[in-house]
Formats: sequence, structure tokens, C-alpha cells
Amino acid sequence: MAKVRNWQLGREMDYPYEENRPGRQVSMLFDLNKCIACQSCTMACKTTWTAGKGQETIFWNNVESKPYGFYPLAWDVKVLALLGEQAQPWSGNKYNGTTIFEDLGMNQRIKGYLPDEMDYAHPNLGEDECLKILDGEGDYIKGPTHKNWGFFFPRICNHCTFPGCLAACPRKAIYKRQEDGIVLIDASRCRGYRECVAACPYKKSFYNDTTRTGEKCISCYPKVEAGLMTQCVTQCIGKIRLFGFKTADYDKINSKQVRENNPIDFLVHVRKIALPIYPQFGTEPSNMYLPPVHVNPDFLSQVFGPGVENSIKQYRNAGKDKELLAALLLFGVTERICDTFKLEGNETVGYDPQGKEIVRVPLTEPVYIRQVKNLKTGAFLTNNS
Amino acid sequence: MMEIKNNIGRRSFLKLSATAGLAVMANNAFAASPFLKPYVVDNPLKSYPNRDWEKVYRDMFHVDSEFIFLCAPNDTHNCLLKAHVKNDVVIRISPSYGYGDAEDMDGNRSSHRWEPRICNKGMVMNRKAYSDRRPKGAMVRTGFKAWADAGYPRTGANGFPDQKYLQRGKEPFIKLPWTEAYALAAGALENIARTYSGDKGAALLTRQGYDPEMIASMHGCGCKTMKFRAGMAALGVLRIYSLKRFAQGLALLDAYVRNVGSDEASGAKVLDSYSWHTDLAPGCPMVTGHQMLDYEFMVYEHAKLIVFWGNNFVCTKMPDLHWVSESRLKGCHIVDISIDYHATSNKADDVIILRPGTDPALGLGVCHLLIKNNQYDENYLRANTDMPLLVRTDNWKNLKASDIIADYKLADLTHHLKVMKAGEHPTMPPAFQSTAFVAEDIRKFWGDNVVWDKKTNKAVPLTRDECGARYAAKGVESALTGEYEVTLVDGKKIKVVPVFQLQKEYLEEFTAENTSIMTGVPVEAIVDLANLFHKHRGQGIISTGAGTNHYFNSTLKDRGFMLLSALSDNVGHIGGCTFGNYVGNYRQSVFGGFGQYLLEDPFNPELDGRKMVTKLAHYTDDESAHYYNYGDRPLRNGTRLLTDPGHMPAPTKVLWQANSNSSLGNAKGHYDMVVNTLPRWEAIFYSDWNWTASCEYSDIVWGVDSWLENKHTDMACSCSNPFLTVSPITPLRRFQDTVGDAEVPAGIFRAFTAMTGDQRFADFFKFVGTNPAGNPADRDSEVYGQRVLNAGSATRGMVFAEIREKAKRGVPSIFMSRTYPRISGWEQTAEGGGLPWYTKSGRLEFYMDDPRLIDGGENLTVYRTPIDSSHYEPNVIVGNSRAFALMETPEMRGLERMGNSLKIAENRMGRNVILTTKELMATNHPLRPHGYEFCFNSPKYRHGAHTTPIDTDLMTLWWGPFGDIYRHDKRQPSVGEGFVDVNPLDAKRFGIDEGDYIWVDADPGDRPYKGWKEGTPEYALARFMVRCRYFPGMSQGSMRMYYNAYAATYGSMEGARTRADGLAKSPRTNYQAMFRSGNHQSCTRAWINPTNTTDTVANKKVFGQEIIIGMQNDVHCANGAPKESYVKIELAEKGGVNGGVWHIAAKGYRPTYESLQMRTYLKGGFISR
Repeated sequence: MAKVRNWQLGREMDYPYEENRPGRQVSMLFDLNKCIACQSCTMACKTTWTAGKGQETIFWNNVESKPYGFYPLAWDVKVLALLGEQAQPWSGNKYNGTTIFEDLGMNQRIKGYLPDEMDYAHPNLGEDECLKILDGEGDYIKGPTHKNWGFFFPRICNHCTFPGCLAACPRKAIYKRQEDGIVLIDASRCRGYRECVAACPYKKSFYNDTTRTGEKCISCYPKVEAGLMTQCVTQCIGKIRLFGFKTADYDKINSKQVRENNPIDFLVHVRKIALPIYPQFGTEPSNMYLPPVHVNPDFLSQVFGPGVENSIKQYRNAGKDKELLAALLLFGVTERICDTFKLEGNETVGYDPQGKEIVRVPLTEPVYIRQVKNLKTGAFLTNNS
Repeated sequence: MMEIKNNIGRRSFLKLSATAGLAVMANNAFAASPFLKPYVVDNPLKSYPNRDWEKVYRDMFHVDSEFIFLCAPNDTHNCLLKAHVKNDVVIRISPSYGYGDAEDMDGNRSSHRWEPRICNKGMVMNRKAYSDRRPKGAMVRTGFKAWADAGYPRTGANGFPDQKYLQRGKEPFIKLPWTEAYALAAGALENIARTYSGDKGAALLTRQGYDPEMIASMHGCGCKTMKFRAGMAALGVLRIYSLKRFAQGLALLDAYVRNVGSDEASGAKVLDSYSWHTDLAPGCPMVTGHQMLDYEFMVYEHAKLIVFWGNNFVCTKMPDLHWVSESRLKGCHIVDISIDYHATSNKADDVIILRPGTDPALGLGVCHLLIKNNQYDENYLRANTDMPLLVRTDNWKNLKASDIIADYKLADLTHHLKVMKAGEHPTMPPAFQSTAFVAEDIRKFWGDNVVWDKKTNKAVPLTRDECGARYAAKGVESALTGEYEVTLVDGKKIKVVPVFQLQKEYLEEFTAENTSIMTGVPVEAIVDLANLFHKHRGQGIISTGAGTNHYFNSTLKDRGFMLLSALSDNVGHIGGCTFGNYVGNYRQSVFGGFGQYLLEDPFNPELDGRKMVTKLAHYTDDESAHYYNYGDRPLRNGTRLLTDPGHMPAPTKVLWQANSNSSLGNAKGHYDMVVNTLPRWEAIFYSDWNWTASCEYSDIVWGVDSWLENKHTDMACSCSNPFLTVSPITPLRRFQDTVGDAEVPAGIFRAFTAMTGDQRFADFFKFVGTNPAGNPADRDSEVYGQRVLNAGSATRGMVFAEIREKAKRGVPSIFMSRTYPRISGWEQTAEGGGLPWYTKSGRLEFYMDDPRLIDGGENLTVYRTPIDSSHYEPNVIVGNSRAFALMETPEMRGLERMGNSLKIAENRMGRNVILTTKELMATNHPLRPHGYEFCFNSPKYRHGAHTTPIDTDLMTLWWGPFGDIYRHDKRQPSVGEGFVDVNPLDAKRFGIDEGDYIWVDADPGDRPYKGWKEGTPEYALARFMVRCRYFPGMSQGSMRMYYNAYAATYGSMEGARTRADGLAKSPRTNYQAMFRSGNHQSCTRAWINPTNTTDTVANKKVFGQEIIIGMQNDVHCANGAPKESYVKIELAEKGGVNGGVWHIAAKGYRPTYESLQMRTYLKGGFISR
């Protein structure tokens, strides 16, 4: 085991390989306040990559409804329990509990479990359900925190800095690309031992029993290589996702020398409004979430770590924070990866790595009031057609 | 390092994979990789030797070509989508990202914040198009063909075809050559028209038992028994609405059959669409005269308060929810009101849970508080609403100036209104209509209203023109409260009262406490809601529809919501407006030039494609589909006929529908139609590209092109966005022997020409499929399209060929409405101080003195309990008013007030009974003592747009929690199945575990169909068995099933019984059901609301600016309640494969079954901080 630095835990941790961060890291941000669980992302991914035989129950991307939705069944409950039946402690931003790579038993490579085939059978279990049974025929669930709550939770492979799947593969057939940090299973090398399936705490490595190999999200690298965002992002109609590259390495994060004009870095490292998913697992996931503002912070902290209250506070204030708004309204407006962004008056503008403008959108969609009589056509215009 | 290079090129890749199918190919390539020598990787975080294999996914992503098509399901959106083609197969679908490049004719552009436009359902359209459920051409039921081959014989004195020819749903279909099928259809139509025309036809219909009023309404024209429904026409202006053109053209058939001239000939009936789905908010046109006060969804950007009221926006307006969530991000307050904590609740700041169907009561409760607290603008009410208008207390009609002024001369109305003398018509085309129009006799019928002027202390006339700023200029101060005395011209003195006074008196019942008792909503929530409306005056939006909100009391709900909006000034402002697009896609009126296509004179068609149609002709009559659904009869309540003449249906013999499975296959009371109504019909045609339950019961299924294969250009609009979307002709070859939708009526009309020798039949569809000769890709209806564009206000100036070219690039056009966003009623609020509404008074009307409303106790804006989904006495008016003095009680109509008249559901329609809150709460639903205790409702869902494309495997799989692609439990009808959501505590009381199959039974008096009998095949088919989910967010006493799931049919049941795989899939047609027996429509029935069927309520014509009174399809016509019933449940089968509890529930992760670990998880107990 090597000692690696995990910024999400605020400490070093054990990992089977030496720390090696790619020059830039693909990252996806999810605004959970906007997700509608339409599964458009799921269908986009499914119809692009996993429509074949043996992939019937494989969804590289899925959206589950928390708290009762899981795919596969109870995946996070089980992994949390593997970390210890006792509550794992956070002290401020430092995690003092154990990760899946630590406190291992004899001959244990990673704390993980292999889901049962039937755990994948019902991918939309728990859809729309909320915590606590409604009692009676009427009620008032007053904000800001709902006493009954539910939220939608889209998930893909997190292309982790310290992937569990990569660490577990006995054939070393899983690797992290240096140019973009995408984690891939080499389909030609994989022999289907399913160690990655057991090891991935997010259960985003899958076993295909027709090809008898493992497979997982490839971060749509054929698109990313062309400067485009992934299918699940460009087809997300809730406009909840932003895809791009985190560019800051560990040292820059800690010295706060991050690129403020990079939308991902801005939201993750400058504003810290986007939070990692189950950081306590220790894999330093690259995908980050803006937590739902109406949900009990205790549950959210279990999922997103210690930054929940700060994130919610900023989100609720976004209407008065135009710079933040500019970043958040860049979600879902273009297929192309924005390297930088800028607030210009009442518009937000995205640029490519060469500084060329990709997209420009208003913070508020304009209002046009046309003349009653169109002089070109002679038509009388009306809203009451 | 790397020792073996795994160089799998695309060619070798293909070679390795012998299996057909692209994705399969790719995966087999993985499995086939033989290159397995060991190698060394030091640190896979750092480097990896074997990167060439990555080519696999690049190849998989690569496509040969792409094209744009228009996805046009009934979900209000209409998106230009990009199809990606490989080996001539569409392998995936993506958004066009062209919506930010759209512009209007002035150069105004929409922004890229409209991107992306697509949804989960759009992405599986290729799977639907390639499915085995495509009608493969002209498919004719064998029994129907036998009837035709035998020369359409009729047996017995009543003239019905022998039932041996009418075994619908139980027979195979055969594919006929198109020309043969056209001739067969033409022959049947001619036979039916001839059979039921004239006195002989009327005599036959009498012997068949039809209501005499219905027969009389036909005036001897057999074509009136033919009914055509053009789906949601806004989805396909030229192709779907070709059925309405067909109905118009049938005047030629009538002339041929009855040997009459064009002056006497009549076409067929056209059915409503939007109102049939109960997608119409029927109270909206009553208050405003306008079909719907809707708005385009970018308006949410400008609101400070959004109230989703019975509106599951997250599920039903998916591509536009971001406007709401982004508005919330900017500080807008969101309130969600529903019977459940549902998908939209987690997008709200506050959630209010209420009893089913009590939404109108809650609305009136908020109105009461606003009035009580003086939180309303008196001057707005005086200037823009009927609140100051005086009502006579002797006959409860509006006081007219002519009542009190001898020889009163009606005012000369000029304010945005042209009064037409007899024989005058509105300016044509509609593009040039600069005012509203009304016929002089209607204007006389309206009279002039009267207010009480507080300055002079006397009654003064207030004309229709004197609204908005013109009211202020008049200089009167009209009283809103009080009671006054006037002397009639005959010298009689009567009391008169302003509408506001009456409404205020009525609302006294709706104190926060009483409202809380009625609705179940805590008082605090009612008070908070009122305060929010007050705080955000003019910046609040009530968004309603498409949730659990479709009740029989919808009319009153709409009127109440409008009242609330008027009190809070949320009418017609950009950011302060009401309703939204209730449900469905009805906004075909933006194609104001539609008449060019629909109302061309078939006796004198314009055959020069360069010319406009100069004279429109009306050969069709409107009719609501509610009546055939109601067993082909009008509404009678005791001794009273409650269907006014303008709404009277004709007997149904022919039904042809396009793109609308919900009209038959998923109709309310579906099984009653199948068992009791359809056997009386003689020809049922369906145009579709997917085999639905409607197809199952058809005689001819016209297999038409899928949207991907579209070979005829068309255009569509949406009620919720500003885009005109043209459907481009696509390069994809047809997969089956299909034709364009409009080719079918054109083909039948050619057959009529062959039959009759009359060329005018063929000419009537001249520009379908024949223009110009040569390239099939150019054979489309562009001539008709351009005429429609030229004639409409929002489209005039657009060149069809140009906007089609833009569409081919994925870029829509923008309609030239008055504003962007289009807000209906904006002109009535903002233009010149406020233009008149399309009502008789020119104001928002909350008091309606139409006879049907006075005798129905709905002259005021009141609250009625739901007609079925209520634990208490159904359909009673809560609260009293002196304005109910002329209401007709059950006794007055020869019915008992209690007893049988209440228990028989039939008698509830038009049943006028008044209770106080306290009295209501002491009552029961008549079935409650018999073990029925759930209000059962069926709102729409995210995995289906009506029934499109729910039966596609990937959609079905995600249809809730029971989807299982491998069907480990072979009882599952499909790879998923319909389910009901029940509060877990309720289910447990009945000994029902999650996952159990349960029976759901509604009123045994008429459901699942009238005359049901246990032990019969019909009952086995129709009784509703469904899986139960424990849904913690469901309020107690309520149940929900998502609408749209495919019903069990005779064929699906046979499949489940005989197929090796046990799928509920018809062996004859491949129809795939989502239930083993029944569906939620086993529990529903047809209801008809008499207050929607007046001949007097003013409303604007859908196309253009003319105001009419009475019946108009999709505006003022019968409106039912597809979504309410009152049911009991009982265990049918345990959910476990081998009995016992469903395996997932047993594992400890489901509501009420939680393990210790799960309980720790739910409270966030796995960490400490």
C-alpha cells in the first residue's frame, strides 16, 4: 500500500498504487435541484453504448430516487455498512473514519461486495418515493427542509482519482488515461473475474455475462476527444449536468491556486458548492454534486460529506450572486466542453481552450413585444390566436 | 511493457462478429478477443500499454449519416431530433441543438437555454419504429372483409350487420394491397351512408334504440353517423388533420347518396380531441371566452411565485422544467399542491397535501382570506371583471340596461369588436383580423350590463366597451358590495346585487377552518398560501393540469383558480399569469390559417396550387367523443334532458381516428365500450404506426409511416413553446408497406371517384401524393401548408420551403405571436389599458346567468365535491347562496334526493344538492359502507406520452419498480407492468404486502362494464388486477396508477395463456399489454358535465377572432373525468414467485420492511460529525 493524498478526506490514505494525477481530469457536475428523473440520460447512454445482448440489466448511467431507490439494490447501504456498523467520524473537513482501502482484513484487497444478479433486476425501484409515510389525508410539508423528502440521484462512473476497480483488477486491465483521467476497462484484456464489480463502491463496474467481461462507463471518450460533452450530459433535459475538466492538482487545490474561470474548478474548488459523492469511500470521485436544498442535512452529509450546509447556503443565495448564476446557467446550453467562462453583463459566455466563444446565453430569457401590425405582411399579431 | 498489440480494426471487428445487430456485434468483439498474453503494468494510474483496443468504442460511436426528424407524440413539445444512421439503421437519437438558432421574421432569436429538446421517450423512437408491433400496411380484420365480400349484408328488422362479422378483438387481420383496402373502405362508407340516410335510415336507428333527439339531429343525413378524430391535431397539421378534411369532403358522398346539391349536402362529424382527453380546463373559456389562458414556459423566468396545483410538471413537461428550477435558483418561491408527495414535490419549497378533488375548495379558501383581509384591488375588479355587474334577485339573471330603461337602445360596440350584420363574415383570412367579431343577433342577446354608481347612487349601464382603461374614463364608481333596488320598465321594483357581493357571501363558508376540514390541509398552509399570493401580486403563476387534477369538478376548479388569479392580479402579465398549458397539445390555433385546409369547399376546390382558397365552407359538425363513450346517448337526469341541441350527438356507425389510442384503447370505461358499445358500430378505422389497443378493436388499421420514415412534409406547434416545427421528409427507407397519413383519405377519395365517376372526390386531395410528379420525396402537401401559413396571423410571411430547409438542419422557426413569451390574455391586461375579453360582458366573468348554470347551481363560482373520488357525498355543492334560488333539485327532476338516486352513479351527473361543511363531513360515499374506501386516480407519467411509446422494452422496464427485463416472475405481462401506489399503512390494513397482485374494483353498478357477470370471458378480461407498490408519499385513503399503461385485450390474454414465454402479447397482432387483466379504465366511466354543454356561453372560435355562443369542440363541450373513481381492493395473488412476499420487499430495504442497516441509512447514521 502506498500513501496517497486525498483532498476530499483532508488527509492521506492507503491505496495500492502510488498517487499519480492526470494533467486534467474529466469531471461531471450534477445539480440535484434540477434533476427530474426522466431517465433521458439513462436512455442516451443505453442506446449509445449498452444496447447489446448481455447488457439487458446494465445501465452505465442510471437515476435513482433517494432514499428508497437503488441500482443495484441497497448498494450504498451495504458499502456504508462495510466501512463499519459504527458511525464513521468527520471532524470538520477531515475524515477520521476508514475508507474501502483501509482497515482491511487478512487477504482483503478492498472492502467490497459482489451484488447478486437479482439486485440489478429492478432498476427503477423506489422511483419518486419519499422518506416517512404520509400520515392522514392532508399535510403541510413546509420548507426550507422537508420533513418528508425525496430526491433524484443520477449516477455514472466517477472516474476516480483512486479507483476501486483499478485497484482491484488482478490482471491490471483497468487504467486511468493520463490525458483526461478517464478510467477504462481494457475489454481485450479483461477475463471477467468481477473483482472490479465487487470493489467499485458505487457499483459502476458491471459484468456482462455474454461477453464474460467487465464493462463500465467510458466517459464517452470518442466524444470527449472531439471536444464534446458526454451523451448523458448533452441529452439531459433537466439541464442538471456540466461536463468538463478539473484542472487543479492536489497542491493547487490546497494552495487555492485554481483556475477561477474554469467552470468546474470554480464550482468545485473556488465556491465549493459542488460536493463529492460518498467521499468517505476514499476513491476521490471526480463527479461532483450540488445537493438538494430541501433534504435533511444529516442524510446529505452522509452522502456528500461535510460541505453540505455551505453548499445549500450558497445555492439559496444564487439569485443575488451573478457570478455563481453565470456558472450554473451554463449547464445544458451547449454540446461542447467549455474551458473557461465569463459573466458579461447579463449574459454568461463559454469559451474553448483557444479562447474562442462557444456559447452565449442570457441569465434571463429576453422578452420581445412585437408591433400589432406587421408592416411586411399586413398581419395583425395576437397572443390570443 | 506491452507485449501484444491488440489491433482490432473495424473490418476485423465486423468479421469477428457473425451476429447481426450493431451493439451485439460490438460486444461479441470483446468476447472474441484472443489476445491474452500476460504483460506488466507498473501503475495503471500512470500508464497503460495497450491503448489500441479503445478503437472499439470509437467505431461503435461512428455513424454513416444523420438526419433530422420531428418527434410528435402527444406531450405538447414536438422536438426536432437527430437520427444517427449506421448500415441504414437508425441506431440512436439525439437532440438537434438548433433551438438557440431559431428566429422570428423580425430577427428576434430564442437563446440556447432552450437546449436540449428531447426526452427519454424520443430516444427510444427507433426501437418503437423497428418493433414487431408496427402495422405492416393496410391491415383488415377478416370478419370485416367477409362482410364486405358478402356485399355488406344486414339482417333482421333493425338492420345491424350479423354479429358474426363483428368479432372485434378476437380475429386475425390480413394485409391487403392499399388500393383494395381503399375500395373496401369506400364501399363500407357508401353502404353505411346509404343505409342510415333519409326516413328509412331514421326508422332503422329508432328500431336500434337510439335516442330520438339524436336521430332528429341527423336531419336525414347518413354521413352524420360517421365520426372522425384527428388525434392531437397540433402534432400534425397536414397529416393528422387530413381526417377532418376527409369529413368535410364526405359532403360529396352525401350528395351522391341522397342525390342532393351542395346546398343541402352535409359532411360527417368531427370529434373533439383536447376536451375528450379532459385536457381542456373547461372553466377557463367560461371565464375568459378564450380556449385556454396558457403561456410559453420561458415565462417562469419572470415569476416570483409558482404554484403547481395538481400539476406533476416534472413528469409531464420534462424538457421545460429547467425554466422552473432555474427560476427557483434565482429566488422564485415554489409551492406544490397535490394529493401526494410526488415527483414535483421535491422541486418545491413548500408542499401541500390535500384530499383528492378538493383543490377548488382550497382555492376558494384562499380567495376568502384575500377578500377578508382586503388583499385585492377593487379598481382592478371594477374595470376588468364582472364583479360590479348587477344581478337580479328575481330571476338571477344579469340586470340589463333594457330591463330598467324603456326603449333602451343598445350601445354601438366598437372597442376591439366588429358587430356583423346578418350575412356579414369576419375579415378573411384570419391574419387580417384586427378586432374580434360577433354576429349582431348574439350581440343583441348579450344586451348591456348595469352597475350601481356610488357617486350618483343609481344604476347606470356599463357597455362591453367600457372595460379596462375605458372603465376608468367613464367616471363611475361602481359598487362591489351592497344590495340595491331598481325599477323595471314595467314598473316592478326588484332587488339587485353586485356579483362581488354574492360571491363574497358564498365564500363565507370557506373560512380557513372550514377549508381545512374539507381539504385536510392544515390552516397554517392555507394562511401561508394566501399570504404568498398577496406578497407576490402580479408575479405569481398558478400552473395546473397533468397531475392529479382531472375531476368532474374541473370547471369549477378553473373558475375558482381564475377568481384567485383576478384577486391577486395574476392574469395576463409576463410572470403573473394563470393555468399554463393545462394538458395535451391543443394550440393548433396558432395556425390561424387552418381553414384553408379544413374548410375548403369540396364541391369547388381550388386546384391551382399557387392560389389561396377564397371561399370557405362548413360541411362538418362538431361533436364530443364523450357521447359515444357514454354509450351513444345524450345526458338525461330524471325527467330532464341536459344535452342542449347544439351538443346533441348522432348515433355512431363509423369511427376513424388517427394517432389517438386514448380515444378507444385507453378510453375511460374502456371495457364498457368494448362489451356494450362497439358491437353497435359498423366500421372502425385507425391510422397509426404502432399496434395499440385501439387497433385491436378496429376493422381496418391503416399502417402509416413512423415519424422517422416521414415522406410527407408536415408542421406542428406547441402550447408551451414558441416554435413552429416543420417535419422534414427523411431519407430513411420505409421499413414496412406504409404510407403517409394523408395518403389514406386521399386513397379512399380516389376509390370514391372510381365508384361514382365524380372526379371531385379525387381532386379534393389533389396535392397529397401527386405534387409534383416524379421524385417521391417531393410528393407532399406543401401547397396546403403554404396556404395555411399565408392565412394565419402568426405565420403569414413564412415560406414553407424555407422553414422546411431550416428544420432539416434542426432549427425550428418562431411564431409571430404578439409577445415572446406568448401569454394568452396579455392584450386584455396590457394593450391600450386592457382589451375586452371574449365574453358577453367583455370582462372576466365569474357569474354565469346561462339557464343551464342557474338550474345547476353553478351561476356563482362554487365548490362541488368530486363525482366519485370522494369519501363523502359525491358531487354536492358545499355552501349556500341566495343565488341558488332557481336551482333544480333531484326532486324537481323526479329523482329521490337520497336513496337510489345517489347510489346510482348515473344520477350524480346534474344532481343538485347543497350541504354545509359540517353536513358534508357527516356523509359518506354511498359505497363506503360496503368496503370501498380509496379515491383512485390516474395522472400522467414520465415514461409515456399518452400511450407513446410505453410498450417499448426500455420504457416498460423503467415503468416504476416492477420492471424486470428477464421476467424472473413469468406472471409479469411484459418486461414491466402497471402498478398502483398505495399508502403502506392502508395496504397493511388489507393484509396486502408490497408486490402483491390485487383486485381493484370500482362501483359494481356499472364497472368494469354495465351488466358484468362473473365467469364470463368479458369479465375475466375486464376485471382489474394489478401489482401494489407501497408508496410512502401517498396520502391515506388515496391510490394512484399512472395513466397510459396498455390495457389487457382478448389477444393479450390469449397470449399470456398460450405463449411459451407467458407474455401478455397477442399471438395475432403482437399487441403487448401491461396487465394480465383489465387496466385502470376498468374503474373509470364516462361522465358528462351539463354545465359544459350550454348553447349560450360565449367563446372565441379556435381559429381567428370571431366570438360565438355555445358548442365548440375543444372549447365548450362535454367534459368528463377520466381520472376519478372510488374503489375497494383485495388480495389476488401474493407477490413472491412461489407465493409469500415479493423478494425485494423481503430483503429489508422497502418502506415498512426496513432492516436495522436501512434505518441507520435513512437517518444518516453511518457518519458522525
